[in-house]
Amino acid sequence: MDQTVLPDIIKRCHQPFVDTPYRFIHAIEVTLPGGGSGTVVGVTVIDTASEMIHSVILTIEGFVLFDAQYGKEMRVNRAVPPFNAKDFAEHLMEDVRLILVTPQGRLSRAGVLEDGSTICRYHRDSKKIVDVIIHQDNSWEIGLYSNSYETIRRVNASSIKNSIPTLVKLTAFDAWDYSLLLSLIRAEPVSTEAIQLHPRESLDGE
Amino acid sequence: MEFMTTVSRIKKGVFLIGVFLSCAVMLGWADSWEDIRRESAKIKSVSAHFSQEKHLQILSRPIVSKGLFYFQTPDSVRWEYISPIRSVLLMQKGNIRRYTVGSRGLVEDKGGSLESMQIVLQEISRWSTGQFTANENFSASLKGGRGAQIILTPKENGLSSMISRIVITLSPDRPGVIKSVKITETEGNYTLFEFADVQINGKISESLFREVG
Repeated sequence: MDQTVLPDIIKRCHQPFVDTPYRFIHAIEVTLPGGGSGTVVGVTVIDTASEMIHSVILTIEGFVLFDAQYGKEMRVNRAVPPFNAKDFAEHLMEDVRLILVTPQGRLSRAGVLEDGSTICRYHRDSKKIVDVIIHQDNSWEIGLYSNSYETIRRVNASSIKNSIPTLVKLTAFDAWDYSLLLSLIRAEPVSTEAIQLHPRESLDGE
Repeated sequence: MEFMTTVSRIKKGVFLIGVFLSCAVMLGWADSWEDIRRESAKIKSVSAHFSQEKHLQILSRPIVSKGLFYFQTPDSVRWEYISPIRSVLLMQKGNIRRYTVGSRGLVEDKGGSLESMQIVLQEISRWSTGQFTANENFSASLKGGRGAQIILTPKENGLSSMISRIVITLSPDRPGVIKSVKITETEGNYTLFEFADVQINGKISESLFREVG
């Protein structure tokens, strides 16, 4: 591979991830093994610079089921059972980070697949591998694998609008074994001063 | 299946909201509980547009949902969200179903429970006859006068962990019509329902309470 294109490939692999504070509001369709399903609303505010994530899950009717902030430490403001389950908050933040934050760790490989998609492989630690694949139509997928390449999570993002996917599907393959389909309701940048402060502008044209 | 428990709780929340609103819309302008009972007896059906504003401290502006509401005595309710998520709650003759548009189209939410249905029916029967003060879930107080308000506070800890209080504001000009319902969870976190185009005692097709489409 022409090494001069490597910086462009790596830059393209950063496309899914937010580098400024942002607020996302999604309708989240949850599907569980056995066919159980339900829809909730998710509000996520993320600031990658300060490594702060604030996540709220509420019902369509507006009841807050879960509210937690992750920064230097986890702070759960509200968790209605079973969202108060041990490790739920940590798992949720892991999923949010997988979707929105540039993978941590060593970039071991970067290149172009036969179909023209760009791929970057990160070794997050000694146990986890993250593949980021950007397709030619700018949709993307992220795979989280064990070091034996068993799939742990897969993220597929599509219907890109203003660099933001309006559909994101996360599938879990481990013991939790669920899928989340996130449909974008609203995305807006927020000021750097505080995660809850006012947005500078809206992307949804409301 | 822990999530099923959550879905059940969500449904219970939906049911309670539906009950609050269906019964609240039935309320007439009133200075006393007796006025409310008298006005309630006159209401046979209600239809209205509603807007729902969800205010959270994490948001700089609320999440706004819009929909349609139908009620027919004694216990039929259709609570339908049109945007941003399409969802329909149907309640008729003790049978309660909820559908939400997802990747597979309009699909019935799984995980409902008989317990939730029983709660709804109990609430409907009480509130539709204006029996706020006899409610086992909420304590009610009335601020009469123009633009009267009914304030409901949960009696038991389980419910108060979800709702700290509900304020139902009646239309100042139109007996039998409410202006808004504000459900406060915690400081800064509340849901405001506002009603428009409220029709009282109009004819509503029975199929609206039976069919989603």
